[in-house]
Formats: sequence, C-alpha cells, structure tokens
Amino acid sequence: MRIVDLSTFNAAREAGLAKLLPRKPRIAIGMGTCGSGNGAEGVYHAFSDAIDNLGLGFQLSRTGCFGFCAEEPLVNLWLPGKPLLIMRRVRQSMVPGILDDMAAGRVPSDRVLCKIEEWDHITAGMKYGAGFPEIPHWHEVPFFKGQKKIVLRNCGLISPDDIEEYIAVGGYQALYKVLIDGNPGAVIEQIKASKLRGRGGAGYQTGIKWEFLRKARADRKYVICNADEGDPGAYMNRNEIESDPHSLLEGMIIAGYVMEATQGIIYVRAEYPLAVHRLTLAIEQAKEYGLLGDNILGRGFHFDIQLVEGAGAFVCGEETALIRSLEGKAGRPTPRPPYPAEKGLWGYPTNINNVETWYNVAPIVIKGPAWFTETGSPKSPGTKVFSLVGKIRSTGLVEMPLGTPLKTFVYDIGEGGTEDRAIKAVQTGGPSGGCIPQEMFDTPVDYETLAQIGSIMGSGGMVVMDEDNCMVDVARYFVEFTHSESCGKCVPCRIGLDKALHILNRFTRGEATEGDLATLDELSRMIRDTSLCGLGQSAPNPVLTTIRHFRHEFEDHIRAGRCRAGVCEELALSPCENSCPLHMNIPRFLQLLKEDRLEEAFESVVIDNPLPASTGRVCQHPCDDRCRRKAIDESVNMREVHRHIADSIYFSDRFDALAAKVASRCMASTGKKVAIVGGGPTGISCAYYMTLLGHDVMVYDSNPEAGGMLRYALPEYRLPKAVLDRELELIRRVGVKFTFNTKIGDEISLNELDALYDAIFLSIGTWKESWVYLPGTELKGVMPALNFLEAVAKTEPVALGRRVIVIGGGNAAIDSARTALRMGSRVTIVYRRERKDMPAIPEETEAAEAEGAEIVFLATPHRIVGTGDGRVQAIEVVKTRPGEYDASGRRRPIPTDEIQRFDCDTVVLAVGETVDLDFARASGLKIKDDGTVEVDRYTLETSRGKFYAGGDLITGASNVSNAMGYGKKAARTIDQRLMGVRRWEDLFPEFEYSLTPPAHPSESGRHTVTELPAADRARSFREATVGLTEVEALEECSRCLRCDIRNGNH
Amino acid sequence: MPRKLSIRIDGQYLYASEGQTILEAAYANGKPIPALCYMKGLAAVGACRLCLVEVSGVNRLLPACTTAVQEGVSVITESEKLTRYRRIALELLLSERNHYCAVCVSNGHCELQALATRLGVVSVRYPYAYPKLSVDATHPRFVLDHNRCILCTRCVRVCSDVEGAHVWDIMSRGVNARLVCELEQAWGQAASCTSCGKCVQACPTGALAEKGLAVEEMAKRNENISQLALHRGANR
Repeated sequence: MRIVDLSTFNAAREAGLAKLLPRKPRIAIGMGTCGSGNGAEGVYHAFSDAIDNLGLGFQLSRTGCFGFCAEEPLVNLWLPGKPLLIMRRVRQSMVPGILDDMAAGRVPSDRVLCKIEEWDHITAGMKYGAGFPEIPHWHEVPFFKGQKKIVLRNCGLISPDDIEEYIAVGGYQALYKVLIDGNPGAVIEQIKASKLRGRGGAGYQTGIKWEFLRKARADRKYVICNADEGDPGAYMNRNEIESDPHSLLEGMIIAGYVMEATQGIIYVRAEYPLAVHRLTLAIEQAKEYGLLGDNILGRGFHFDIQLVEGAGAFVCGEETALIRSLEGKAGRPTPRPPYPAEKGLWGYPTNINNVETWYNVAPIVIKGPAWFTETGSPKSPGTKVFSLVGKIRSTGLVEMPLGTPLKTFVYDIGEGGTEDRAIKAVQTGGPSGGCIPQEMFDTPVDYETLAQIGSIMGSGGMVVMDEDNCMVDVARYFVEFTHSESCGKCVPCRIGLDKALHILNRFTRGEATEGDLATLDELSRMIRDTSLCGLGQSAPNPVLTTIRHFRHEFEDHIRAGRCRAGVCEELALSPCENSCPLHMNIPRFLQLLKEDRLEEAFESVVIDNPLPASTGRVCQHPCDDRCRRKAIDESVNMREVHRHIADSIYFSDRFDALAAKVASRCMASTGKKVAIVGGGPTGISCAYYMTLLGHDVMVYDSNPEAGGMLRYALPEYRLPKAVLDRELELIRRVGVKFTFNTKIGDEISLNELDALYDAIFLSIGTWKESWVYLPGTELKGVMPALNFLEAVAKTEPVALGRRVIVIGGGNAAIDSARTALRMGSRVTIVYRRERKDMPAIPEETEAAEAEGAEIVFLATPHRIVGTGDGRVQAIEVVKTRPGEYDASGRRRPIPTDEIQRFDCDTVVLAVGETVDLDFARASGLKIKDDGTVEVDRYTLETSRGKFYAGGDLITGASNVSNAMGYGKKAARTIDQRLMGVRRWEDLFPEFEYSLTPPAHPSESGRHTVTELPAADRARSFREATVGLTEVEALEECSRCLRCDIRNGNH
Repeated sequence: MPRKLSIRIDGQYLYASEGQTILEAAYANGKPIPALCYMKGLAAVGACRLCLVEVSGVNRLLPACTTAVQEGVSVITESEKLTRYRRIALELLLSERNHYCAVCVSNGHCELQALATRLGVVSVRYPYAYPKLSVDATHPRFVLDHNRCILCTRCVRVCSDVEGAHVWDIMSRGVNARLVCELEQAWGQAASCTSCGKCVQACPTGALAEKGLAVEEMAKRNENISQLALHRGANR
C-alpha cells in the first residue's frame, strides 16, 4: 500500500490501530536482544503453541524493549477495554496460567509489574482502558518514576516489524506535515529554537549543524546516522533501533528534506544483527508505503537511506573516521577543520547525527520547540536515555530530563547498591568519561556540569561502582580498552595510552612509586591536550578523574601495597585475607586444621591475631562478605573456625607448651623502650608484636585489668571473661607488662612518657558516650550505654528499671538491650533508620529479638517525660520516614508528625561514642574537626615526634578487629622507625601445608554456632552460643576453595 | 596573488598569505616550529602533534600544519607547556621502537634525533617497549627497518601523491600499527614499486635507507622531494 494522500495515510493508521487495540485479548512479548537473551524467544513460542492448542482467539505479537532490563523478559497483556499490563520475568512455565487468567478476564496473580491506562506517544495518544485499581501505574514503579519517554516513546509498545503500528501511534505524521508545509527553513528554525543538542556526546546544537548543511552548495549532500555505538556498558542506540526503527528513519527523512540532502546513510555496528535486521525491514516497508525513495508521499521529494555495517572499530564512532570507513578506507580520523559540513563523505557536504538525536526530530516538529524546552535544563533541554548498569539493583534503559541529579539515577531509579553494598562512584560516558564519586551525586547530569568535573555525558553510559570496585583497576580497564582501540595515527594516543597502561599495570601489581603517579598524571594531561581526535582527547578522563577523586586508592596501592576492594590480585593473598583488618592468613589455618594439625593451626592463627578467641566471638567478620564460596552456597565460617582452634588450645593441657613456643619467638632485646597507652584490643595487639620484636613494652591503662572494651563493654554472654583472661595470659607470657589504674593526663603526662620512652603508641578507646540533647535527659534513669555495660561488667550495682528503652542501632545498643533483658527488664530498642541501616552485627540483632527485645524502627526520641520527683516515666518518639540518600548511602530519616509514647523507667542512650580527648589538649597532638587524632594514614605517626596513634582514637568508634588491625600496623611502622630496617617479615614463621587446590571441596552447607534456646539464655549471662564441634570445624575447612593458590603456587 | 593577512607569531607582527597554514607562515618567517610528520609539498596529516601551537581565542592546542592562518590571529609557538608536551611526544617516540643512534645509518642526519637534541630530551621517563621488529632487505637498492619507523607516513604520502604508486600504507591499529608494503608483500616483490627512492629521501629517520651505507652515511635529500612535490602539486 502506497501512501499518497490523507485517505491512504488514514487507512494505514486504522490498520495499525486494529492491531494495537484488537477486539480480542492481545499479548506482546518484549523481544529486543536483551529480552531474547533472557528467554523471550522461548516464551513467545510457548504462547504461540498454547494459543494454537487451546484454540484461543488471542493476538500474539512482538515488541521491542520497555527498558527495565533487570526484570526481563517483559510481556504486555491487554484485554479489550482494560489497561495494558506489563508482566516481569515471565517464564515459559507461567504461560498456561497467564492464558487461563486472560481467558477468564482476570489479572494474573503474580509478576505484574505495572499497568498503563493511557500512553503519550508524543506524536499521538493511546487509550488502553481503565481498571485494576490494585495494580500500580507504570510511573509509580520506582524504576520509572520521573522518567519521561520522548525518545523511547514507542519502545516496547509497538511492533518494530510493522510500519502500520508505527503509523497508528502518530508515526510519519511529522514527515507528512513537513512535506505539506513545504517550508524547510521553518523546520530548521524549530530545531534551532528547541536547542536540541547532539546526543552522541559532544552536545553541539543540532539546528546550527543542519543550517550549515542546508546552506552548503553542492550537487550531492549526505545525511548520516552514527549508530556505531561502542562504549562498554552502553546500549541505548541498539535498543532504540531494535524497538522503534521507523522513528529513526522519519527523523532522517525530514532532515534530508530540509537540508536538501540526496542520500541518507545509517552506519551501524555489525555486532548489532537484530538492529540491522529490523532496520533493513523498516527501510523496505517505508519504501513500500511510499515514505522513502522516489516521490515521497507523492510530494515529489526523492530520498533514499542506505544501511552500512561497520566492522566494529571503536574509533569509527568518531565522525571523520566514520566517513573514511564509509569511503572504504581504514577508519582513521582526520583533523577538523575542514568539518564534514564543508567537506565530508567523498568530499561532499555531510551531516552526521547520533541515533538518539534523530529520535527527537519528529516530536519537536509535531509539538513545537516551546514544548521541548519545557523539559530538561535551560542549556540542555529535553531528555536523554542512559543505560544504567553495574552494581545496582534495578538496571535498564532510563530516559530522564537533562539536569536530573545523579543520585536520582542511583538511588531512586536504580534503588541503590546490590546486596546493600555501599556505592562508591558512577562512571559516565564510557571510556571517554570519568568517575564521579559518591560525595558528588548531587551533580545535575547535563553537558556542562559533567564536563566541569572532568567527565562527559557521552552517549549515555552510566556504570555504577561499589566498594568492590578498585578505582585504579577501573582506570586501567578503560585505558586498556582505548589503548587497543586507538587507530595509531597520532603519537600521544598511540604511544601515550600504551605507556599509561604500562604504568597503571604497575599500580595493580603493587610495583608503582609516587613518581609513577606524577608521571601518569602529566602524561594523561598531555594525551588529553594534544591528541588528534576525540578518542585520544577523552581517553585519559577515566585516569584523571580517578586520580582527582580517588587519589587515596592510588596511594594505597603505592604505600600500603594494598587494594582495598580486593580486585588487584597480586596485592592480596585471597579475598578473605584482604578484607581482614589483621590480614590473617585464613586459608593457611583452615588447611592446617584440615590436615589435622591443630597445634600448627593455632600457631598460625596466633601469630596473625593475638586475640583469636575473642575476635572469634565478636568480630564483624568482613571475610564472610568476600568469601568466594558464596557463589556456590554460603561463605566459609572462618571466624568460628579460629574461635574453635583457639578454644581447643586455651582450654587444653597444651596451652603452656604452645604459649612457651610463641614466647620463644621473641627477638633479641633491642634495648628500646615503648609505652602503649590503653590496654584495649588496639594497645594489646601493638604490645604483643612490639614485645615479639624485642622491645621493652609497658602498657598503661586506667582500669584495674587489661582488655578495654573487650572486658568492660562486651557483656559476659558474648565474651566470657574466662576466655579473655586466657588470651591475656598468653600475652603476658610473651612478656608484655602492664601498669594499671593509671590515667594519662592525671597520673602520668604525655611529657613524662616522652622523656621515658623511645616511642609512644596512643590507643585509647571511645569511652565517652555521645549525648543527645533532648528534654528529659537530666532525669534519673537516663544512662549512657557504655557506663551501663561497664558497671554490669564490674558487677557494680546498677539502678535498672523494669521497663527499659534503648536508643540506637549499633552494637552497644544491642549489647545494652540483651544485658538489660538478662537483668529481668522488658526492653524496647528505638532506632531512627531502617533495619538494613543498623550498624550492629545482624546476628546480634536477631538474637536480641529472639530473646524478647522489641525494636521500633524509623523513630527518633522527642522527649523524655519525668515524674514529679525527677524520675523517668515515659519517652515520646517521633516516627520518621526514609528521605533522601545521605553521604553514607543510607536514607536520611525525616521526622513526621506522628508521635508515639512508651512508658518506661530507664532510658539507655547508645547513640555513638567518642574519645575523651582531655588528655590530648596542649599536648602538641593535632586534633581533627571530627574529634579524632590526626595521623599519617600509612605510618600512624601523629603530629608530635615519637608519638603514634591508632584504633578508635583516629577512626572514632569502630570495632574490635579494625582496632587490632591498627595496633598490628603500628607495631610494624614503629619498629621500622626505631630500628631503621624492615624486620617485620622475620616475625612470621613458614608453615608447610598443601598448596594443591581441593579437587572436590566439601559440598556441605555452612556450619554455624549453636545458640542456646532464647528463653534459657535470656535468663543468664552464660555464653549464648556454643562454638563449632571438631567435626563441624573440619567440615568448614574442607569447604574452603583455596583462593590463595594461583597457577599452582602463591 | 593571494591576499596578505596580518598575523602575530610569538608577539611579532608578520604578514602571511591567505591559504597558508600557520606552520607555513612561521617557516616563511624563520620560526622553526618542531614537526616530524610535516613535509613541505606533501598533504599535512597532523599526526605527530609536535607542531601544536596556542592560538588566541581557541581554548585547545591546534596543529600548525593543518590550521590555516586567519586575519589578525595571534599564535604562540613556544611556551613552557608546549615544550613540555613536545618533549613528552619525543620521549614517547624514542621509547616506542628501538632507536639506537650509535649504530644507525642516519645518525647525525636524523630529524628525530635532531629534534630531541634541540628540545633537550636527555632521558626517557617511560618504559621502553623493545618490540621485536623485522627488517625488510628484499629490495635490491633499499632497506626498510621497522625498528626505526615513527609512522609519520611521509613515505606513504610521497609514494601515493607524488610518485602515484601507493606502495606503502599503514596496517593494524594502535601500537601495533606498522608500515606495510602493498598487501604485506616483501618490498623486493612489490609489483607497484618503481624503485624511485622518494620514500627513502622523505623518511625522517633511518627506517628507510639506501643499501650499502654504514653508520652516519645516510643523509636524506628531502629538499629535492619537496621541490618535486610542489612542482607536481601533490598538496592539493
């Protein structure tokens, strides 16, 4: 059917509408490359077969993709007169059920994502019908909230293979209008007034570019669509073409007309076979309907579009290289000027626009420039499609108004990180873009702002990265890509990127120096400023932005030889070792125990970690999160294995012999005297290693016994004092000496220490409870958590009421709650955020609930109500709701009007702890604004000579293993400073154990500790858990995959 | 007669002819902007990036060899930044392949060596790549040593645009880019080669040389090539 006038045009539209809104139920399967990759083909055939077999008169068709990649395959269901339903993750097995429901006129009970009652195709409206009040509208789904589909107006709703469906939703109307009006100049004015900017990334004004070509005088002019989309992680153009090829053709035909071009060319990657297929079909259909080729719409305009498949060189996305490629030459850019508008393909004037730019043409023609500029920011109007991918929950194609802040993409649409991991950065613009750190997520996404912070918008790739991504490795990855895609013509890009890659490889191997960082920075600037084309000019962006925003990660690789994310394999033994603050050689002790060598396993553990039984009970076990066994089932329970190893020795007759063996490892006396202030886990760890290194160590502590928080803050049921005492006995046998009941600042001053010792390590804990100032905190019955826990630990009398409210969500809050429960009180915990935001160890929270503690989430204290005699009577809390994401990546609690009252007689405040810095005033120690002591991150040196600091004192309240990690690190650097040589490695003996990866790791699931029944344990301070049995521990060891073995060796 | 344009180079007021590039105007006025891929008479390609200059009103560096002069333009050809970048470019070239001046036929007559000396490149801060590259000595009179090639493409252009033979081109991408004779023929078997030797004379280094010469003996006569190229109008 050839469209030559309004009646034939309308006939085509009616035919299309009859397919989109038939008089029978309609099922459409989203079948872009992405949908097909997720099983849409199978689903389509299942529907097709079932409809045939059941003899149902349903219409079945294919559509493109609606954009929600994480939920593919998507299926549209429509019953006449009802809203369109979008189903998510449809499997073949669900097909009969769906058909049953549809035949009965019901909504399927499961997997309905949303409904669409009416849809604005921009060029036309579509009314599906109303109903199904229980199903959310499409824009109420978080992923779609705020999206404005102009470019993607038809994607996923019409068949890409059927021109009549495109015409039914207003397609080719813009072309019809332009040809009838016959005023090309006015169209160019419209495009100019819309301030539409090139969507390929450079953002040049499309209207101005069009005017250049229109004015150019030549007997041949070309219009080219650049569909050579090649950024890793970007697939906007592919999806646009696969879902709605005619919108592209219409934009190009209009442009061909107004610029008086003779030929259109679409340069599309050969790697997009489905896009090529659908475009080829669309071109044929457009010709058949008289919309392309000779005498278009009977208006005497001739224009043809040719499809050319690119062989896949990334550089051919650069317009001059693309032109060379079209001419059959090697894809190498040429200097501009001359610009293609003067001298383009075969030397003739040429206009090149990105796929997405063309999609904006028809809407602007139909709705006018004023409508277009309503959306987006003043300088960058309209919308942009982004492919939101990476470490994020909801991935997919997102079309948002330009100027939308980055955090909306990450947290609202993407719904935050996967597995609740903290998001670190977003990489925009592919290999030419940069990494934007989490602190800058307020940045509006538009051309200028992104350029200012060193990135680019590019074609719209958006890759989210979390704490598991090493930014040095990210930079290396992108440079590796651009280095291999460089055409080799100009010196900076060809050789410079190769050298930059060499240098970056040195970082990831831990061989880089400070000088390398400076060289890399200078080289990157040179490549950026001097390269011939956009590829080289933008290739250093990932390096420059990561150096700017993540310099500390580069420094970690240089100075600490560490990759915190655990990506750079050469810098870590295994993921567990890398995540352990003490860097325990975990695979080694697992293997030694597996080989039934308990004593050696103990030696291995205790040389890495001086308090293995305590940490075996209370560590936050970061190793669990990193364990690769998780990919099979669950992580290996490493913490409990070293608890088992330690307990087996501490409470056996082998203790004396093994303690003597550890002590025998002490090096010869160095004659150096070292003072350690604070006998908590940080101080003890430092003291232990310093003594082993042959120094004369004295630990000062204000308390009567050693252990710090382990003794005075951790309740008996979590860490029995008998266990701690046994561990401290080993520390003492190694030769660590203690001076108790001595408070620095009161009994002995820093100056005195300075005079007496060669080095002083400050490791005081956070003993000062932060105080919330709210009405009523002066009442009797309000107490800080640490004071409460300490009093209980010291068996001092505590005036605890029968009804206790604990404010806070950290470990101190949970410890207080469980302790109060054991003292016979009823306990309610009030926390201002959501459960997943709680800093406490999840197992502890669960245990507290099992023991009878109630937790009220999303509530913050308002005031404490007192009785006439000044005692606590009740607490009023304000309910909060989760607001915007804050710098910690958690939703900020916003107070509501709702107030809840809880009667109580005791309020325990566990809202965070700080260091009591009274001792440090006038000491010459620099204190940072956040109330911590300033140190060099790598050497732990303070601003005062001979003084070092670690643990809570420099980080604020943290946890036991982090604190011990600092103590261990301090010992290494202090020793090196005192002795002038590296002796650290000499401390660690060699162990002989199997270095063959297990052929068949145990298939058993993870073994966990046995908890006493909640009702029993809540009544006593007896340890609440029983450790692994010997059999269980051995089984856990056999579950280890031995990530420490690579290529048969370490 | 082309129109005279008034321009400034490094602060000095000069005249240039319309249609001239910044590089041509500078050379005509005795300002030797460093360049390696540029050769008088051949079409400029802007590949070596040594001739980048600062142009007033333009916020990025422009290659002097491909940028036309405009009335009133002010150009800076030497600055701390330009010198730094040019040195880096030379260091990159020196570390890319195997440039051993002491044993090179062109020692003392090499443009790369001369520029490095002039710009004070005394050491290379980047890791040397030491690629294993071949030498094509199949031609009876000439020899191609890939170890000394800087991919300036002067040979490619002189052969295709002046001689009209197009024996040479560049194959592969990035650091793997190589000068290639026909479709990977040995030079001696290249049917299209007229053995005119223009490529040898155009080559700025010892990559293309006459056979039978010892160290330091290969002095290039590239002024002849330029004259010939201009005469034949290869620059169009």
